[in-house]
Amino acid sequence: MTVAEGAKYVAAAYAVILAALLIYYFMSARRVAVLQRDVELLEDEAKRRQAPAGEAE
Amino acid sequence: MKKLVSAPALFIGAGAFLIVGLLLGFWWAPVDSSSMGFSQKIFYYHAPIAETSLVAFGIAFVAAILYLRTQDLKWDRLGYVSVRLGLLFAVLVMLTGMIWGKASWGTWWAWEPRLTTFLLVCFLYAAYWVLRSVVDEEQRRATYAAVFAIIAFVDVPITFFATRFLPEGLHPAVITSGGTGMEGSMFASFMISMVGMTLLLVALIRRDLEIEDLKDRVTDLKTSLGG
Repeated sequence: MTVAEGAKYVAAAYAVILAALLIYYFMSARRVAVLQRDVELLEDEAKRRQAPAGEAE
Repeated sequence: MKKLVSAPALFIGAGAFLIVGLLLGFWWAPVDSSSMGFSQKIFYYHAPIAETSLVAFGIAFVAAILYLRTQDLKWDRLGYVSVRLGLLFAVLVMLTGMIWGKASWGTWWAWEPRLTTFLLVCFLYAAYWVLRSVVDEEQRRATYAAVFAIIAFVDVPITFFATRFLPEGLHPAVITSGGTGMEGSMFASFMISMVGMTLLLVALIRRDLEIEDLKDRVTDLKTSLGG
């Protein structure tokens, strides 16, 4: 097998690996960011609901 | 608990090792003199990913034992995060192995010991996910999953030693008791990639555990807010 022929297979293999790992990396990073935002929003909402209750007392 | 190394540092370390390993594999290590020729360059990520996937399944095995001993759901969580990543890595091994097989053996697939046992590993851990999806109750799901993870792990050492005990297969044994069978530059490049891939696994496990913790936090907050 010539270097040129081998290079096609090597490029394909590394493309598969790097694409999968990078996609997983960025998707998980995005998932963390979205969940952190959700937690913040829900905590704010919980505080907002507690505040009137505290004022009423 | 305070982590020894921060998550970004782990990812940066993993990336640095992987890039250096790849560069050395291409520019320092020579082209393989066997019939594999240039396609042997696939090895510098293919083998580390394979070893790392087996490490992930090993972590799931240990986590399963710890869960059964303690009934602490944090071990169940570590187990399924490890299986998820192990399976991702295992699928990448299969895909890159098929590409390499086509390049060096002239065929995408051969029913030889290493490939067949590794395919079985993939099926077993895919079944682990199916099992988890059909049991609703948390503790029962964790118990079944832990037992299954222990049983599934039996195939991992079989896969690892398949090329050593059954050397007539197509897949070569790279590191044996007789040595590495590689030039020093090839082995060094491989080991650097191996460290990088292991660090990447650790970093991704930590991030996935963080995701699971955050999901729990969101569920708790929604529950406390009444939906």
